[in-house]
Amino acid sequence: MTLNRDLRIQIAQMVKRSGEGHIPSSYSIVDILDHLYGRVLRVDPRRPQWEDRDYFILSKGHGCGAFYVVLHKYGFLSDADLERYSTAAGILGGHPDMTAVPGVEASTGSLGHGFPTAVGIALGLRIQGRANRVFALLGDGECHEGTIWESANVGANLQLGNLCAIVDWNGSAAQLMPRDDLPAKWRAFGWVTCVIDGHSATALEAAFSQLAFHPEGPPNVVVARTVKGQGVSFVEGHGKWHHRIPTDEEYAAMLRELAP
Amino acid sequence: MKKLRQEFADTLLELGPRDPRLVVLVGDISHGILQPFARACPGRYYNIGICEPTIVNLAAGLNKVGLLPVVHTIAPFITERAYEQIKLDFGYQRLSLNLVSVGGAFDYSQLGCSHHCYTDVSLLSHLKRSVVLVPGSPIEFNLLFKALYTNGQINYFRLPEVPHEVEFAPADLAPGRGLRVREGRHVTLATLGTQLRTALTAAEQLASAGLSAEVLYFHTLKPFDAPLLRASVEKTRCLLTLEELSAHDGLFNLCLRAALGLERVAAEQIAIDDFIHRYGTYAELCAQVGLTPEHVVRAARRLAATH
Repeated sequence: MTLNRDLRIQIAQMVKRSGEGHIPSSYSIVDILDHLYGRVLRVDPRRPQWEDRDYFILSKGHGCGAFYVVLHKYGFLSDADLERYSTAAGILGGHPDMTAVPGVEASTGSLGHGFPTAVGIALGLRIQGRANRVFALLGDGECHEGTIWESANVGANLQLGNLCAIVDWNGSAAQLMPRDDLPAKWRAFGWVTCVIDGHSATALEAAFSQLAFHPEGPPNVVVARTVKGQGVSFVEGHGKWHHRIPTDEEYAAMLRELAP
Repeated sequence: MKKLRQEFADTLLELGPRDPRLVVLVGDISHGILQPFARACPGRYYNIGICEPTIVNLAAGLNKVGLLPVVHTIAPFITERAYEQIKLDFGYQRLSLNLVSVGGAFDYSQLGCSHHCYTDVSLLSHLKRSVVLVPGSPIEFNLLFKALYTNGQINYFRLPEVPHEVEFAPADLAPGRGLRVREGRHVTLATLGTQLRTALTAAEQLASAGLSAEVLYFHTLKPFDAPLLRASVEKTRCLLTLEELSAHDGLFNLCLRAALGLERVAAEQIAIDDFIHRYGTYAELCAQVGLTPEHVVRAARRLAATH
């Protein structure tokens, strides 16, 4: 059963209207993001810079369509913000800009930056003796980047237990490197690793409610099995839809499939 | 004269106990000399390891929670290898960094081209919010670092291995302010870092030959003290730069921009044009690129002869 049909429709609307966006990469993470903002993160849309907030970084910045509609749902962004997506009049673009968008902690886009930055935030919070938690969502294709493993190594060696990575394991990486053993890699790097279905509300609830954030313990990673483009049959999978804008006919077909 | 790297450690030890925001990340160098800081500031010193791009990413995270990161390692690895991290994490995101390198140009002369770095000053200068310095003596680093490290910008300090040995009065040292180290009338020798010694020695030799050289020294490349340079070249109409920087984008370019519009100016640069495929001492590699008093004297006389 497809969750968050309304959010998926909003993403399609934004992309169709502006002619820009990564629909499949957004659909694979939108359920995770909705769960985080609805059930996990301690954040306050009235005070995006609240000092006791949890930090969330979307390291795979091209999935920002999902990020924007979730930030909108939870009060960080206005209707007008979404309507002006990817226009010169707006603050939302094809990758998120922390200097402009409330609730965005890092300007990502070039892969392999957001997650190591989250490791730095976790270290900084520990230096300051603060109890905030840090979450970063990264792509499995992004795990090709060397900085992911450099910083995974650092995070485990510094025992940054206030940190949780979430990997969108949608199979992008394995297209090029078929040795598809992400959970084993994270375990080998010393992270507490769990593997879940990233489109299941039950699985998301079970995983995130059981995470241990030991101040001096190992960091956590949730490897979420997902489907790129999940929710629209002809968009699912890899290939031409990665950065494709739907035609009028395709758009109408998407809306039909996503209708509640 | 004390080594710049030791002054770096001493300055951090001076500042760290009174500024709890200072956090030091190193890429497995200077570990020994930074132990006094590590002991004085527990939990604020990290020898992260051999992963320079990640060190810069981590520093961005530290700055996001209000800490002031100081990143220190070897120039080519932290500026050229990790440039995208510096550019995006600190430039695009408007964060604040203090980046302190050693091993600029060919200070690691005997280790070969992998450890040379000619473009660091240029690369860092491309970022709008950067301040770029090559302090050539301990007092310069101490005063300039203290003046800048809380400014919210991207501060880059290249520490030369060999101090120039010239003593400056503290009152004369301010970010962005060049220094007229020797007055002259016939040719302007503009330089930075260790090469101040070469320029002053050449100026002495030129004086013996009847040429009066004015020596300008720039510890700050950005912002550049253009008025100082322009006033000198307006007087001498002869400009020669001595620089351990890339010939393609260094002090010479800054000087030419500062002198734009002045007529009948003869100009030359002595800089690094390409990889130096040789091992040897620092002095030998200086000679390879023409950074010797004898070469400077020949170039200066050639320039002066055009007038």
